[in-house]
Amino acid sequence: MTQAERPSAGPIGTTWTPSNETPRPTWGWILQAISGVLVLVLVTLHMIANHFVVSGGLRDFADVVAYLSNPLVVVLEVCFLVVVTWHGLLGLRAVLFDFGLGPRAESAITRAFSVLGVAIVAYGLWLTWTITSYH
Amino acid sequence: MNEQPLERTTPERGTEGASPRRRGLAGWADPRGRRLGGLAFILNRLTGLGVLLYLSFHLVVLSLLARGPSAWDGFVSIAGSPLFLAFDVVLVFGLLFHGLNGIRVTLVGFGLVVERQRAMFVALMIVGAIALAVAAVRIFTAG
Repeated sequence: MTQAERPSAGPIGTTWTPSNETPRPTWGWILQAISGVLVLVLVTLHMIANHFVVSGGLRDFADVVAYLSNPLVVVLEVCFLVVVTWHGLLGLRAVLFDFGLGPRAESAITRAFSVLGVAIVAYGLWLTWTITSYH
Repeated sequence: MNEQPLERTTPERGTEGASPRRRGLAGWADPRGRRLGGLAFILNRLTGLGVLLYLSFHLVVLSLLARGPSAWDGFVSIAGSPLFLAFDVVLVFGLLFHGLNGIRVTLVGFGLVVERQRAMFVALMIVGAIALAVAAVRIFTAG
């Protein structure tokens, strides 16, 4: 579907006024919606477990090590890191693409963000491993 | 993959999304002539960018954990200061708005609750306001 053929009611998923035509969501949008739902669940768990049930709102070092000694916690926090990195970078990519960059700049952004995403997750895994090795 | 990011479609002025005539920041950040949906779109982007900025700092700050107990516990002792706590409330606002508005955007995107989305938005924002108030009280009163 070309730009001109698209319904004029607005971007899929953000239309405020319903259009007679039903726009089909793109894959990029669907992935952003799925990761968004996952982030919503995981960030809620993260905020409650790390801040709202913790005395003073922040764990000291010994408590962080004890918290991460639970394998389920590590799995959930790593999942959160992966999903939030995906959602954040794809969202920033969409914002940058709105500046009307050329196709070369856009593919450069996609490649750079892919590398950045992998680097962020690798950093998170390294950090988790470093903290748990204090145990 | 035949992917076309949703923000590159061409909404009309007064609906959501970026303006077809004005590229870049002026295309989506200008609130003039927009209705509630457009304002929700702008605020969704601003809170998304704000949370992303926070997450960048968050990752850097967490590197203190790799430097051992004294580095991390030193940070914990200053993170309870009123300035930090005020930023925490701003962060919770960003998370709540982006997350709750995202529920609406996702449902409507899959063709659900399209007709009643204005009412859904208002309801979600009321839930968000209550949650923000509760969180703010807890942030400033928790030991």
